[in-house]
Amino acid sequence: MRRFVDWWRNPWGKPRFLAVFTFLYLIWSIIPILIAVRFSFNDGRSRSTGQGWSTRWYWDEPELSVKNDPSLREALFQSLELASLTMLIAVPIGVALAISLTRWRGRGSGTARFVSLFPIVTPELVMGTALFLTFVHLFQFVELGTVAQLLGHVTFSISFVVIIVRGRLLSIGPEYEEAATDLGAPPMKALRLVLLPLLLPAVVASFLIVFAISIDDFVISQFLSADSSTETIPVKIYSNARGAPTPALNALASVMLFFSLLAITLAIVLQRAVQRSRGGGKTGVEDMAEMRL
Amino acid sequence: MSGHPREARGLDRREFLRRSAAATVGLSSAGAFLAACASDEPTGAPVGTGGGGETTAAPFELARKDNPVTLPLYDDNPAIASGLEPEAGPLKIYNWIDYLDKKTVKKFDKEFGVKTEITIFNTMDEAIAKLRAGSDFDVFFPTPDRLGKLVAAKLLQPINLDYLPNVQNMWPELQSPFYDVGSRYTVPYVIYTTGIGYRTDHVTPPPEGFDNPYDIFYETNYRGRTFLLDDYREAIAMLLLRNGGTDVNTGDEAQLEQVRQDLLGLTDAVNVKVSVLDYTLVPEGRAWVHQAWSGDFVSAQYYLPKGVDYSVLGYWFPPDGKGLIGNDTMAVLRSAKNPVLAHEFLNFMMDNDNAYANFYNFVGYQPPLTSLNPDRLVADEVVPPHLDTCVVRQEDFDQGYTLLELSPEVDALWQNIWAEFKSGA
Amino acid sequence: MRYPRWFWAAFGAPGYAWLAVLFLVPFYVILAVALGTVDPIFRFPVPVWNPLEWNVGAFEFIFNGLGPGEQFFVVFVRTFAYVAIALALSLAIGYPVAYYIARHGGRWKAFLLLGIVAPFWISYLMRMLAWVNLLQDDGYVNRVLMWLQVLDAPRNWLDGRASTVILGLVYGYVPFLILPLYAALDRIPRDLLEASRDLGASPAQTFRRVTLPLSKAGILAGAVIIALPMFGDYYTPDLLSGSPKTNLVGNQINLFIHGPQPTVGAALTVLLMAMLAVLMAYYLVSTARISRVDER
Repeated sequence: MRRFVDWWRNPWGKPRFLAVFTFLYLIWSIIPILIAVRFSFNDGRSRSTGQGWSTRWYWDEPELSVKNDPSLREALFQSLELASLTMLIAVPIGVALAISLTRWRGRGSGTARFVSLFPIVTPELVMGTALFLTFVHLFQFVELGTVAQLLGHVTFSISFVVIIVRGRLLSIGPEYEEAATDLGAPPMKALRLVLLPLLLPAVVASFLIVFAISIDDFVISQFLSADSSTETIPVKIYSNARGAPTPALNALASVMLFFSLLAITLAIVLQRAVQRSRGGGKTGVEDMAEMRL
Repeated sequence: MSGHPREARGLDRREFLRRSAAATVGLSSAGAFLAACASDEPTGAPVGTGGGGETTAAPFELARKDNPVTLPLYDDNPAIASGLEPEAGPLKIYNWIDYLDKKTVKKFDKEFGVKTEITIFNTMDEAIAKLRAGSDFDVFFPTPDRLGKLVAAKLLQPINLDYLPNVQNMWPELQSPFYDVGSRYTVPYVIYTTGIGYRTDHVTPPPEGFDNPYDIFYETNYRGRTFLLDDYREAIAMLLLRNGGTDVNTGDEAQLEQVRQDLLGLTDAVNVKVSVLDYTLVPEGRAWVHQAWSGDFVSAQYYLPKGVDYSVLGYWFPPDGKGLIGNDTMAVLRSAKNPVLAHEFLNFMMDNDNAYANFYNFVGYQPPLTSLNPDRLVADEVVPPHLDTCVVRQEDFDQGYTLLELSPEVDALWQNIWAEFKSGA
Repeated sequence: MRYPRWFWAAFGAPGYAWLAVLFLVPFYVILAVALGTVDPIFRFPVPVWNPLEWNVGAFEFIFNGLGPGEQFFVVFVRTFAYVAIALALSLAIGYPVAYYIARHGGRWKAFLLLGIVAPFWISYLMRMLAWVNLLQDDGYVNRVLMWLQVLDAPRNWLDGRASTVILGLVYGYVPFLILPLYAALDRIPRDLLEASRDLGASPAQTFRRVTLPLSKAGILAGAVIIALPMFGDYYTPDLLSGSPKTNLVGNQINLFIHGPQPTVGAALTVLLMAMLAVLMAYYLVSTARISRVDER
């Protein structure tokens, strides 16, 4: 208490209003998440009134828990599978695209930049509808289902990778590569040995963001799904929420949250370790924020 | 039945068997009388113009009560042969949400040694779009108002009645209904009416207290708690009935224009909302007046919060039976990978015990079984006494108005009205 | 650069190819559907690929509904209004938070950023459903407001009002605004601010004349990132309202595409995208100068 009062009265201290405001914002932002998680541990059937604590919706409940209800389990695996594959495809393509956009100065580069960034600002409804119509009327060899969903996810993820990596690229500047080529390295080698290591935090950040966005995607996954086995977690939540769902739905979302937090923690720990051996630098979390359109 | 709302009412397996036995044994005299007086075998000349209102000829025939339709069979879409063994599954069912009892499905799984996957759709249009885009579901639950289209587009396969002896359990009128003479493509699933659901503790006077009961939707006291069903056919039809119309499949522009204005007026008057969650919104008190389906109100009692008694639920349907009534059907899709198994499922769901269990355990929508005596549903406390308006009887079908197929042009008229309403203009 | 001209362009070839096939082509498909016809039985869209055979009926239908008070006019105006208000509120909330983290985050920076980003990790729908829960008559919002004596009786937040939908939009999109804002604010070199203070400016003046202008690019970037997708949002009104009076362009597009006239739905989409493309192009052009200054 005394420390709080001192902090409040410190004339050289950081702005109090902003600190309190940020704190309140974080609370406002996180409270619904905490509530959703709380009810996943509810002992009763209600998703809105507290009825005690139990883990029944995670594994005990014979037919309806996440562990025992095959449709919920399938949704979990489908979400994880899609997110992982999307990550592995979108990030390399996106990194190459970002490098190209930042370095390319010729004619058409403006248009290329526009097209590369447009998916981010395209409403998902538009993308979902467009892709659905495309796969039904034009590319009919692609059936609705996991493949179609994957193609859709990668398409809008590429842009996110681009803006994150571009941010880092613009901060790095061309000097390091120029130095390498001055010293005789061929272009590709300079890229591989000089630029990519410098980009590593941004690449890690891209992996994380793409994973998060793919897992949370609802519209595109729903439009391009074939049947219940290709429904992802958000689609399951939406279709079940329209009926009379049980807290197992909250449990499902919480499991998803857990996996994502795990992924982020791993990434940060790994990065810190790498950086300690290299010495200094920003963490991936900050790079996540360093976006450039 | 751990965790099931029924648990609170202290129902155990013995009770259930006793009550279902009581309901099935002993047809009431009314039931027997009606069974004997089943509607005439339709002569069913396939060509004919329907009742008033339809415009130009549709690419498929529009079934009406006075114009029964024998759905066409196509050479390139044959039914399966008789006497085949059921496949190994998994059986893929495409259905509305919360419309099949999981326990009954599990029983099917056990009996046939297969797995079942249920995929949910939210609207019939969405379902048809997915079916058209290509899918491999086996069993589908179409409403009769889309059958012409579905059959013309060859999305359904004709059923082989040799696998479906249980169809005899259904009401005779529905064994060879006017929309599918000879049951070539469908068998009946459940029956229901569309009425007005309301909270007895908040809504006074109830709909019957109004000169025109449908005017309750315009009552400004319930602003923000008034709902229509999020279904353009149901909503527009109810407003047609409010204006005294008798044809809920009309293409009459004057009547539809009036309904259009009524709908827009409803938005202004009470900021009406749309939903299909009448069975949760009304018990939870978020809705006080909700256009509702009868089956939803039978199951609504299980969604009441703790401490709230089911007497707060009210359901109004025109006492003279001149209201909206309908039935859903089951069908086998042409793309089915397990057609024999699908037939077995249909047969299974028409079995007296299974259909009753489906209704009683979870769905709340009444199956049209001749062995199910509607009058006993209240006596056996399946349906609370003040909700006996939810019970559907065979005579209701004769009086009531059914939503049937519209020609594409008329359908477009209806949907455009709905789109304009939904824009909040 | 020593590298041949085509090197950098070619480097991005996989990306360009992917986007061309799976992003640009689908837009052409939408155009072909908007200017196409419907099949007679189901009224499903039949795309017409050849521009010479395009039929503009859908666009005519929309233009007929664009008069004041007509359905499309009302929906577009409403959408603009909601997005503008939500954007303003998001800036009002997001800017101070971004500023605090960038300038005063210190040791806690990564931690705070994690807190900002955390909402991404749980399903947006789940968060919205939690809000529905909180906003019910007996939910915490009403309870807290009554305890604070701001309200005498529980208010029905879910009765289909604009404020609930707008707040839902703000809640959902604000994290996307904070990140680019933070990035821009973080990039402002400290020495500039110190120089300003050294020259006698007060903190408020420093903010107004140094920080704010330098963060303009960030503000614009953030605004673009959240405002444009907001135009296509349809599930927020669905979940938080359900009343036609709060339906946005996204809802109507969804309705038409799955209903009577998918050509109209596609045409609405085309109009929406044309509008967004113009906004995006304006943004890129006007910030081209700023980013060139930033690049060393």
